[in-house]
Amino acid sequence: MADRFISRGFVGKRRQTEATNRVPPGQHAVSDFPVLSAGPTPRTRLDQWTLTIEGLVREPVRWTWEEFLKLPAQQFVVDIHCVTKWTKLDTRWEGVSVDTLFEHVELDRKAMVVTAFSDGGYTTNIPLPEIINGQAFVAYTYDGRPLAPEHGGPARLVVPHLYFWKSAKWVRGLRLMEKDKSGFWESLGYNNHGDPWKEERYAGD
Amino acid sequence: MDDVQSDVNRELMLDGNAVAGKLQDIFGLEMTANPTECAHCGNVSEIGGLLAFTQAPGAVLRCPTCENVMLRIVETPDAIYLDARGAAYLRLEHRTS
Amino acid sequence: MKRTLEWQIAAVKSITPETPKVKTFTLTLPDWTPHRAGQHYDVRLTAPDGYQAQRSYSIASEPERRGEIDLTVERLEDGEVSSYMHDVLVPGDQIEVRGPIGGYFVWEAGMGGPLLLIAGGSGVVPLMAMIRHRAAAGSTIPTRLLYSSRTPEDVIYSNELEKLRATNTGLEILHTFTRAQPPGWTGYARRIDNQMLSEVVKPLGISPQTFICGPTLLVEAAANGLVQIGVKSGQVRTERFGPSGGTA
Repeated sequence: MADRFISRGFVGKRRQTEATNRVPPGQHAVSDFPVLSAGPTPRTRLDQWTLTIEGLVREPVRWTWEEFLKLPAQQFVVDIHCVTKWTKLDTRWEGVSVDTLFEHVELDRKAMVVTAFSDGGYTTNIPLPEIINGQAFVAYTYDGRPLAPEHGGPARLVVPHLYFWKSAKWVRGLRLMEKDKSGFWESLGYNNHGDPWKEERYAGD
Repeated sequence: MDDVQSDVNRELMLDGNAVAGKLQDIFGLEMTANPTECAHCGNVSEIGGLLAFTQAPGAVLRCPTCENVMLRIVETPDAIYLDARGAAYLRLEHRTS
Repeated sequence: MKRTLEWQIAAVKSITPETPKVKTFTLTLPDWTPHRAGQHYDVRLTAPDGYQAQRSYSIASEPERRGEIDLTVERLEDGEVSSYMHDVLVPGDQIEVRGPIGGYFVWEAGMGGPLLLIAGGSGVVPLMAMIRHRAAAGSTIPTRLLYSSRTPEDVIYSNELEKLRATNTGLEILHTFTRAQPPGWTGYARRIDNQMLSEVVKPLGISPQTFICGPTLLVEAAANGLVQIGVKSGQVRTERFGPSGGTA
């Protein structure tokens, strides 16, 4: 835009340009972990918490918190990218791979997409092929400590190869569906897919 | 009255005043003094009194009584999106001039 | 009033330190319009590569002071805009602003009273605009400011508040300090609670027109407390600031 006013001496904080191939276009690396939320922190008691796989499966399955913690878990170190332009490298999590969760159900052949749903009503949609094969997990520790409520605790979905709004905080289940259904942000101007490497931020990108 | 538990998320919560500029961009009018009814619980509040979550990919305004989503606003490079399904109505009073 | 908000380039006329972390920026505006006490301006910074940061700051000055506005800004540790304003901006610089914005959290002398103002930290800024406007308008509406600060050093406009109290009929200022008090202090020395609210409200009658501004937790505690002691919720207007500072 021609003759836009430039503020003398302003560069913006956290603007260190990383000449690294780990930071997607338009992103900058941060060292803190910003808290973003669309609503108040849900406070589900652990004795009432469950995680469900439902929808286009032969039999839905549900784990209580104790049962969930007994599932085989792994350490994950991943980079995460928020559509609001911050990227955090080498985040450390512990959780259960979605592949492990799906071992307990038989997927219907018609299942094409997954809607992740959370306490508080948040939803987000992910193509089925992009949530399996080691691409997603349900995490319950971050940086060696129990996942804090403001970051999605007790458990959140993590799908690091897509913008982080797809990593639903306070996740309570995954629903297998045939027809794609836009989630909370996808239905209001954000990209349905959300690949940070193709800068799929907004609808139409 | 119970002691307020530290809640990082709640501390970041603001109110409709924080989106006054965005709403004026959308409506061309000052909106925060206008009442709106929650489609979920029927509570009527001035927009300035709604709870606002602005640390997010968009702004989410919630009913101060039942905390259901009333308005959502997303700004992209090309457009502003407004979802007002959570509001049964927005009331804009006639103004002289 | 139908009006689109346009950005304009203001000039920094002067910068006045208020407390170690708070400064007042006096800006002259080419396109100044009278504001209403309680409104704010948006401030936008643009870097050479096009990156922008934007924040809202409440107007501290009264609308009777024409052609210029005061924005009182607390410097936040992580604050992109506040640290630029505190550390880089000097008189003579220019800064992009738009406003005035707001219509819910506003008070004009014509609206009457009695008036109860409750401030936490930098939440005092829009309430100060109301107090200054009240003085400029020659109003004698019974008005009480309950102002919560951590320590006496954190009180913004300390001297001016004392002066206004002494020279303005019907204006009272009550401080509460939550961490450290002045020597010999006999006033409130704790967080705002219902007992304090009852005492503060009493001389103003059952249901004064009330404006509360500050961090979310303080605002909610005060608003809920007032309703619990009988103030009609329709009389209470609130503006939440972030953990310390202005609205996002």
